[in-house]
Amino acid sequence: MNDLSRLYRWLLLGTSLATLLFLSVAAVQENFFSQWQVLQRQYRAILKQKATDARGQELYRNFEIELRQVSVPELRAVDRCVTCHVGIDDPRMTDVRQPFAVHPGDILEHHPVDRFGCTVCHQGQGPATNFRDAKAEDVYWDYPLLTAELTQSSCLACHDPEKLPAKQVELLLAGQKLYQEKSCGSCHQLKGRGGNLGAALDDVGSKTRHQLTMVNIEPPHTTWRWHVAHFRDPAGIVPGSQMVVPPISDQEALALTVYMLALRRRDVPESYLAPDKIEEKYRELHPEPLVGEQIYTAYCAACHHPQGQGSNFPALGVRAPAIGSSDFIDVASDQFILATLEAGRSERKMPAFAAAKGTLSADEAQGLVAFLRQRAPRAPSLAEVERAASDRALGEQLYQAECAACHGDRGQGTPLGSPLATADRRAAGRAALHRALAEGVPGTAMPRYTRFTAAELRSLIDYTASLPTVPGSRARWELGQGDPNAGRELFQKICAGCHGDQGQGKTGPALASHGFQKAATEAFVAATVVRGRAGTPMPAFGRASVNYPRLTAQEVLDLGAFVKRGLGVKLQASQPATQPKTGD
Amino acid sequence: MHDNEPAGSRLDPPRVSRRSFLSLASLGSFFAAIGVAAAGVFRLPTPTVLPGPVRRYKVGHPEDFPVGSERLFPKENVFVFRDAEGVYAMSAVCTHLGCTVARTGEGFACPCHGSRFGLNGDVLGGPAPRPLPQLEVTRAADGQLVVLADNEVPAGTRFAV
Amino acid sequence: MATQLTPPPGSNAAQEFLHNLRHLPQTFKDAWLRLGKVPESEREESQATFHNFFLHIHSVRVHVRSLAPTLTLGLGLIATSSFIVLCITGVLLMVYYKPSTELAYQSMKDIHFTVATGRFVRNIHRWSAHIMVLAVFLHMARVFFTASYKKPREFNWLIGLALLVVTLGLSFTGYLLPWDQLAYWAITIGANIANSPRELTDALGITAWFDPGGFQRRLLLGANYVGEDALIRFYILHVFVLPVVLVILVSVHFWRIRKDGGLARPEDPMGGGAEWGGRVRPVFQPLATKTYGLMALVRGRRPPVNRGPENTMMSWPHLFWAELAVFMFTVLISLALSFFFDAPLKEIANPAIPENPAKAPWYFLGIQELVSYSAFTGGLMIPLVALIGLALIPFLDRRPGGEGVWFGTPGERPVAWQSALFGFAVAVGMLAFTVNFGWLRSWFPRIPQLVILLINPGSLLVLLYAGWSLWVLRQRNSVRLAAVALFTCFLVGFTVLTYFATVHRGPNWQFYWWPSQWPVH
Repeated sequence: MNDLSRLYRWLLLGTSLATLLFLSVAAVQENFFSQWQVLQRQYRAILKQKATDARGQELYRNFEIELRQVSVPELRAVDRCVTCHVGIDDPRMTDVRQPFAVHPGDILEHHPVDRFGCTVCHQGQGPATNFRDAKAEDVYWDYPLLTAELTQSSCLACHDPEKLPAKQVELLLAGQKLYQEKSCGSCHQLKGRGGNLGAALDDVGSKTRHQLTMVNIEPPHTTWRWHVAHFRDPAGIVPGSQMVVPPISDQEALALTVYMLALRRRDVPESYLAPDKIEEKYRELHPEPLVGEQIYTAYCAACHHPQGQGSNFPALGVRAPAIGSSDFIDVASDQFILATLEAGRSERKMPAFAAAKGTLSADEAQGLVAFLRQRAPRAPSLAEVERAASDRALGEQLYQAECAACHGDRGQGTPLGSPLATADRRAAGRAALHRALAEGVPGTAMPRYTRFTAAELRSLIDYTASLPTVPGSRARWELGQGDPNAGRELFQKICAGCHGDQGQGKTGPALASHGFQKAATEAFVAATVVRGRAGTPMPAFGRASVNYPRLTAQEVLDLGAFVKRGLGVKLQASQPATQPKTGD
Repeated sequence: MHDNEPAGSRLDPPRVSRRSFLSLASLGSFFAAIGVAAAGVFRLPTPTVLPGPVRRYKVGHPEDFPVGSERLFPKENVFVFRDAEGVYAMSAVCTHLGCTVARTGEGFACPCHGSRFGLNGDVLGGPAPRPLPQLEVTRAADGQLVVLADNEVPAGTRFAV
Repeated sequence: MATQLTPPPGSNAAQEFLHNLRHLPQTFKDAWLRLGKVPESEREESQATFHNFFLHIHSVRVHVRSLAPTLTLGLGLIATSSFIVLCITGVLLMVYYKPSTELAYQSMKDIHFTVATGRFVRNIHRWSAHIMVLAVFLHMARVFFTASYKKPREFNWLIGLALLVVTLGLSFTGYLLPWDQLAYWAITIGANIANSPRELTDALGITAWFDPGGFQRRLLLGANYVGEDALIRFYILHVFVLPVVLVILVSVHFWRIRKDGGLARPEDPMGGGAEWGGRVRPVFQPLATKTYGLMALVRGRRPPVNRGPENTMMSWPHLFWAELAVFMFTVLISLALSFFFDAPLKEIANPAIPENPAKAPWYFLGIQELVSYSAFTGGLMIPLVALIGLALIPFLDRRPGGEGVWFGTPGERPVAWQSALFGFAVAVGMLAFTVNFGWLRSWFPRIPQLVILLINPGSLLVLLYAGWSLWVLRQRNSVRLAAVALFTCFLVGFTVLTYFATVHRGPNWQFYWWPSQWPVH
């Protein structure tokens, strides 16, 4: 039993000595050999070297090896970076190695360290006292240290970047510009403006790496590495991503990344804001109306193509129609475009841009329409037409293809279109005919024909004028009445295949939707049925085709009546259910 | 309290001393370990770095201080004076036990224990051990005067404006 | 000696004053230490124990079996030692810790990066907590397998269970304080386990009238989310309420050890010292009086005077060597762990970003695995049933025998082995089945929650274990063996579940062979 006691005494001796060892090693490590202490000793040697004048000697004498920190309660920052970056505000430290060198540029003149700290611009873990933890790329900290070129993303918090020296915020400005140029606003919302197909980006810079899909990113998993890679290949980084990015260079991806990192809701005290930032915020609250072209570039071009020829996104199963071509712009009335902007197109990717408090004000929407009109092709003037050569065969061919469906193959008129070969029409003259062709007749199904050349128009006008006069008059002609019931049968037979038997949309767009019903008049429906939509699978039923019967004028009217009144009535009865889901 | 009967009676036989080397060594190392640990324990509450921001106060533009003027900044506990030579700042914290001094005809007086100071900070009476310190004044980038409450300067220093 | 301390007779007051001043060190030492020197006889040794406030909770003599490391493995002492370390380091951490959601995480960073020895102290606190929980678990198992809960120690067994609960409570409440992601989501889960009686009340449709779950949750959090109020509540529990309760319970626990006659041990042999290897010396001389015995042992089993060898030895110094050694051993372990492994601290708590997987500390992971089947059954019912079962053991198994001996009654060891095997096989089988085939909800998506509440892998496991125990009861005709069977099954099952949830559960609580296979999010 005394050996039991001996055993415990040996155990006590052993454990006490080992404890002593651990404590001593830990004490020595912490008090003499921590990274910052070693560095500060080196810095002191540098200070000694540079102590050539009285001030330098004083600095050297007063230098103590101690933890240093900058505490800025207003910015919620306690930054210990200065513990190792000891020479950060000593202008003599230009030729020394990091971490002792002075801060480059004149940034610190305007941002004294003790008022701003470090992390407010550079991010990273301010409280840390060693480099690995401060850099925070592979430790648990939300915002790792930004690389040098990304640091300019922090300027946006307090500055209007336009007012800063362009060289210092080159990437930020470039990213901001690219955001407009590449029409990111078509899908993404920023400051209340933009589409809703993608995520809103107002606070995207606050995201941490845990909020991004990192599975396809090589470590280190920083948000900026994610952004750069994602801008180059969205679906390759986030499987199933539908984001469409026009081809951009590495530098452009970097610039956009800087802009993304800059988009952060930060709670910066007013006393820290630059005056121009306050002006910028004021402008945000009282925006100047954008002009049509800006709107188109910022919010339309991504899908409808910068020149309006439309785009096809097979991966998304989306075909954005051409809205700059004559096929569309000739048929679509102003009211149709405005209504579409306001409500979007359900079952389509077209978002509602001009809804209440939406991206576009009423004036801006008008401006956009005006821009589309102004950019649209124009028909040759009457003088040009009269100068061109006439070809009767061409005229006849064009008449039969484009006009006969509504106006009758002899110009005698149909319930859908007024007679052309009457005496009173003849009296009105060629100028009236030209005007109708060049500009359409608003409020009717008569579209404009801007895609014809002068020769084609001349031939068509000549041919029309040469038709034998028919009895009756333009003045007494009335638009026929469609029969919704007859239209219903016809709709089931030829339209339901694409538009759905309730007009709910299948491969073709929904016709019973609120957005369509609001935008489309009966005349628009009739004109589209007759002419079809170029660039889409919608055929021209006014022309004979192998696949489709040529519809008579009455049939077209019936269809228009059904689509507007038959489906429309149904819509009113069940409006809440078919409320358009603008979005997708 | 304890029995004064010497050890080694018939009832309580003496035993071999347990002051063996092993006992002493183990007990010694135990207390050494506890001692080092205690040193660590007392080291911890000593702050290695002081919290709080640098005490650097913007007090206004030089033209706010006409020659002969003086102002107390109560939140910052600083007097700012301007005389013909320039601007200077005086701490308003009594050097005795830290109360805030008040301005009197002769200079300053502390309400707590009756210390009195002259206009240049000298002790005129009372228990204060040293003069009121004069503080460094500089100018910020925006032209405002800045009092650096952490930096003491020799009495009589003036910041020319 | 004493005579030197009195001033020479006839001296005047000034001389007396100087004399007293000269002898100040000696008189002061006498007043402080009473004995004034290292004890040299057994009487002085017993006085050293008896007259010391901190030591007098020990008896002055201790049985030689109780000192043998193989009986207790020192587990109770390890638990106590780590609690002492925890108290010291805890108070130190309180110097810098600020219990507010705004500042808590920041103060953790300060402790980690700037406070002198702060990181080390926090590591020690963390590791000691782990050691304490582990020691308490193992201590319970040791007491059970040495049948030390038997009469007259039933009550102390109950105190021990209460200590287990308080220890876990301390650990759980301490988990929230760093206010990092780990803390936030573990406590969110814990608080919702408190809320889980709603599973039952919802299924019965009586939540509107009777809502113990909501009550518990609100009581714990002070709000319906984990926020400032929850932090303060957890802080109060962690630094005041639970430690005080623990100290009181530990005091009672120790006091009962003495009252119950020291550590459990078999009756001393009457034959002679040979059974102890002949190393035992009879301490009672033929002329020993009972007066001495009264001083040596306050109450309880008194050594049979003049009737055989005395198998006890003096507490001073033998027991105290042992206690010091175990204390330092515990300190060393936590110190060594703290030296090499930092206590975790994740990103600041962010309610917008759930941790995935959000795992509780390891000792709750077995329960978390059960919770993944049904929060109410796994998080509350099964632990409650287990606790009640443990509490009943000494009252249902009342036949004496085997006290203080590992697997002391005949047949215990084989039954323990068989039960371990059974418990292991059933637990692993249940987990394998659940991982491969899912459970009721995956087959019948519309199954009522009440059914899942009653029939889930956790409840089945408990039933199977209970069935096994009953079978042992019938087969072996012994309550003790049935208890051994059940306890062993639970111990093994708990270990398997803990291991499984620690290693094989990954994001979304999916099965993975190794954490290295966890998908990058």
